[in-house]
Amino acid sequence: MAVQGIWSGTISFSLVAIPVQLVKAVAIGRVSFRLLHDKDYSPLARRMFCPEQEKIVPPDEIIRGYEIGPDRYLPITDEELESVSPERSRTIEIVEFIDMNEVDPIYYDHPYYLVPLKGGEKAYRLLVEVMRRTNKAGLAKFVLAEREYLVAVKSTEGALTLITLHYSDEVLPDEDIAPKEGKITAEVKSGIKKSIKSMMADFNPGKYADERRDKVMDLLKKKVKEKAPVAAPEVEKAEGEGPADLIAALEEIMREVKKNR
Amino acid sequence: MSRKVVAIGGRRLSLSNLEKELYPSYGFTKAHVLAYYRRIAPFILPHLQDRALTLKRYPEGVEDAFFFEKRCPSHHPAWAKTAELRREDGERMTVCLVNDLETLIWVANLASLELHVPLARAGSPETSDAMVFDLDPGDEADILDCARVALILRDLLSRLRLASFVKTSGQKGLHVYVPLNCPETTFEDTKTFSKAVAVILQKNYPDLVTARMAKEYRKGKVFINWSQNDAKATMICVYSLRAREKPFVSFPLEWRELERLADQGDPEKFQVLHGEAVRRAETTGDLFREVLTKQQKLPNL
Repeated sequence: MAVQGIWSGTISFSLVAIPVQLVKAVAIGRVSFRLLHDKDYSPLARRMFCPEQEKIVPPDEIIRGYEIGPDRYLPITDEELESVSPERSRTIEIVEFIDMNEVDPIYYDHPYYLVPLKGGEKAYRLLVEVMRRTNKAGLAKFVLAEREYLVAVKSTEGALTLITLHYSDEVLPDEDIAPKEGKITAEVKSGIKKSIKSMMADFNPGKYADERRDKVMDLLKKKVKEKAPVAAPEVEKAEGEGPADLIAALEEIMREVKKNR
Repeated sequence: MSRKVVAIGGRRLSLSNLEKELYPSYGFTKAHVLAYYRRIAPFILPHLQDRALTLKRYPEGVEDAFFFEKRCPSHHPAWAKTAELRREDGERMTVCLVNDLETLIWVANLASLELHVPLARAGSPETSDAMVFDLDPGDEADILDCARVALILRDLLSRLRLASFVKTSGQKGLHVYVPLNCPETTFEDTKTFSKAVAVILQKNYPDLVTARMAKEYRKGKVFINWSQNDAKATMICVYSLRAREKPFVSFPLEWRELERLADQGDPEKFQVLHGEAVRRAETTGDLFREVLTKQQKLPNL
């Protein structure tokens, strides 16, 4: 029933305002592993270490610094950072409509779905349909998790998707990547064209799967049958009982209580 | 969208969508929710006082999506009290403190039907003011089983010279509170203690109780959730509404009454609706008052 929304508000342009909720569009299917201590299989934790004092630094002694040169830092407080953080967006205000074909995928950062909230269904469907027909996307600025993003709102298979875009100064220049021009004969060109044509297909992502992931999962399934998993002492402690004295004392009191019930 | 500006405690508050049915199958609107919190305010406010509120908001009502909000919404009125907390990752977080009627009504107007608070005050986030046993029935168990466990807990605790208090969760379970109100009691103390108690109950009543979180151990049993004794955890505040089909309240019960309800054997009778909650609180006063004031020390066993 309840989709855990990341944000809710309205999407608007000119006189249209549609109440929506932002939800994840992808769940990354990477198999993740915990790091364990080889000796007793305890799961390992990360700690901040000060090499100068050779000790672990507690969270309340950690501050931020901007590196301005070798071993030179500009300390900055949370308050200072907060003072320049943008206000959380209440609306996704579309400022322009652009042709989605003009946006090179290199600008795509992260996709989300926009889900219509009550009362917004009709306007939502209308916007989906018009954007699909015209292949247009709405461009907006949007603050999520204290960062301001440039976002494209577009139509994907009957739903609105929101894609956060990279700013142009985040995209690295490609000047040195394209090789300098050389002579290419017409014959070579048409050869390449022909082989591309012979390999043309419709984009069907369902055909492809992360094979390494499947293999890792198969391996894990096999291992679980063959060999009992190792148990960490830490976990056992968490599921364990507590201090022996306390347990013994409570045990005795419990016996009395039971007698009198 | 309808708006209505009201004056509460000398503040002007703009209330929105008052006719919206937040409990649609019960016909209970935003206006009803606000009226409930207004009437129950004298009883609930002391329990919210100076505690970092977690809002659980149902903008489209209980049958639709909800979201938790630990941070105080950035558009909060200037007069609403807030506190700065430091999260484990070192980030700071501004939280709401519901210390007066106007903040309570403002929060309720955000469709935060449920009000969740930690067991510590914002000024002393490591001090556990109370130890709690969150009794949660697994599949095929019910609130009657919880009542049996609660009564055993009461007897065990009283043997340890600890007074305890019980309230309904407003859902399917019961919450047993042991007031402490000693600045030196930490969550580490209450967690160790409550867990040992849960383990002992599991040992002595293996068919009724489990102290283990994993779902597969919980079928037909009452899970004693001792891990709520944690600085990061929150409990539904006593007198808060719950987001179920009907506006049930997390409501305090006298032990005598719990015994009677347990004898009657009807799980439905445990539930307290909004109207009854107001009536009973106004008649008996706050049965949970001592949870805030009674000073008790965990015994050194």
